[in-house]
Amino acid sequence: MEKDEALTAPRQPAWNTEVLNCATEKVGNHFRNPNWDNSMDQSDPFESALSSMVSSPAASNVPVSGENVIMRELIGKLGNICNSGDASCYTTPLNSPPSFDFSMVNLLNRSTLTPFSADPGFAERAARFSCFGSGGNSGGFNDPLMDSFNLSGNQSINVNGSQSNKNSGSDKKNSGVLRSSSPENAESGVSKEESSVSQQIQSQNDSGTRKRKSTPRGKAKEIPSPAAVDAKVASENDESNSKRSRRDGAPAGNGNAKASNDGNEKQSKENSKPPKDYIHVRARRGQATDSHSLAERVRREKISERMKFLQDLVPGCNKVTGKAVMLDEIINYVQSLQSQVEFLSMKLATVNPRMDVNMEALLSKEMFESRGPLPHGVYSIDSSPAFPYGYQPQQGLPPLNNGIPNTTETPFSMKTQGFQLPSIDRFTDAHPQVGSMWEDDLQSIVQMGFAQNQPQSYQGSIPTGQVKMEL
Amino acid sequence: MDLQNLNPSSLKSRFTARFLRALTEINAPKTISSSSPREIFQRYRRIKVAADKSMAYSVRSRRIWSRATLWRLRTRSRSRRLVSFGRRASVKTRTTASHGKENKEHHGAVLGVQAEELRELVPGGEAMDLCNLLDETAHYIKCLTTQGFCVYMGGLLCEGCC
Repeated sequence: MEKDEALTAPRQPAWNTEVLNCATEKVGNHFRNPNWDNSMDQSDPFESALSSMVSSPAASNVPVSGENVIMRELIGKLGNICNSGDASCYTTPLNSPPSFDFSMVNLLNRSTLTPFSADPGFAERAARFSCFGSGGNSGGFNDPLMDSFNLSGNQSINVNGSQSNKNSGSDKKNSGVLRSSSPENAESGVSKEESSVSQQIQSQNDSGTRKRKSTPRGKAKEIPSPAAVDAKVASENDESNSKRSRRDGAPAGNGNAKASNDGNEKQSKENSKPPKDYIHVRARRGQATDSHSLAERVRREKISERMKFLQDLVPGCNKVTGKAVMLDEIINYVQSLQSQVEFLSMKLATVNPRMDVNMEALLSKEMFESRGPLPHGVYSIDSSPAFPYGYQPQQGLPPLNNGIPNTTETPFSMKTQGFQLPSIDRFTDAHPQVGSMWEDDLQSIVQMGFAQNQPQSYQGSIPTGQVKMEL
Repeated sequence: MDLQNLNPSSLKSRFTARFLRALTEINAPKTISSSSPREIFQRYRRIKVAADKSMAYSVRSRRIWSRATLWRLRTRSRSRRLVSFGRRASVKTRTTASHGKENKEHHGAVLGVQAEELRELVPGGEAMDLCNLLDETAHYIKCLTTQGFCVYMGGLLCEGCC
């Protein structure tokens, strides 16, 4: 403990590299076992995490914020590395439930909650004993670490996992921190570092970080959670949101008890709901980390992504926020489109069709023409002003009635009985700019069509009349 | 999501070709338009079916909604009247119901009511989870706009030449 402080305080970088090398040799080899295939990617972060842990800049009572951030990040990463062994389908290589950590965490949390913060040494010793106990060795780093890995992987995950999940508001972070810290303590015997680290992290967290409100105060669980939170904060800048969320989910363990996780999930969900808008989705810190919540979070993100896409598709939905309102708008839009098609087909039915080959040629030309002036934005054009039935809520019917020639009155009257009216009420011209584009295109097409067929009296009046009708 | 897969021009051209073919078939036997509402209504239904069918065929079976539409059209042809009337009524009730439910607030990620309504709107949506449902809805909206556009243009040109 004391030696660690002495080592860590002045020479952080050098110490880091030293520990890095040492740790790498010992742990890296173990992690390169076939059982830990995923750890291949994690060797570096693990090393860095180890170094950070061992160095424990937190030992100094005047923590450098940058160092602490880095250290916390490393701690978090270490925790992730440790978890890599049990990667689930949703976990990146960095994610994995901590096998051995749970035992430590469990014991740590059980032993003392409040006293943990008060007396770091006690907790550290407890952790170390637990670590050693699980490992059956009092030796160096490797043995207890490996033993704990092997043991916890098989046996204690469920029990410890639930415990760890309960303990921390941010399960993953807590467990991650404790996990990362406990092996460190075991190997380097720097239990004090852990507590001091966590304490400092906690202090840092309390001040600056976005700590989860649900995290209980004055308990040992807080310590790992702030640390984990800080780790997450530090790593936020580095990793994408999706990765982070997965990483968060992974360490919690795949086979943890659902009940405890659900409780934590609720907490995390409650905390994450306010900042979470379906447009701006960020990974929430302090989320439950079991596979279920992880999968659900992935699913939610997918849904929000699609909602964003739909928002672009449906006109006039940019100002709308919230899934419910957005879905309502989408529903209205789809209904209006469907009724629009029905109305148009009805209109087509009333027209006396003289379909000759020219028509097909005309339409093919229309398609060809529409490619130009209406590039990929054709759908937006179609939707809003294209027809006179551009979709927009709450506007009147009159333009339609006035513009449509008499031939449509009959079917229109038929339709008045039906459902058309309420939906048609929504038909309006949405975007005048787009409407102008549409108008030009329409004019060109119609004129082309008329020119092909026969010059008639329609040519001048009807196209313009119809164009006017649209607007 | 699959916006790139949907080439507007190709979809439109495919749909237009099929739709025109169907239109010629519908209108060929009756060169003189009888203005009785009933016949017009029949023609309207046929045209609408043609539009839906041609749209679904343009998309083939790439989409769940197109497959559902084709299946529905095939089964509907056997029991046409009942289904169409039933659909209309359900659409009406949906329209009114949605207005009432719009005021509800839904917490959480699962928006059951709107999802249900959306499922009813999008053909084949009953068997999809929300994620796929939103995908299908996006594609369906695109195809609906294309369909409406083509039908509208067809109507314009038909009016123009008659």
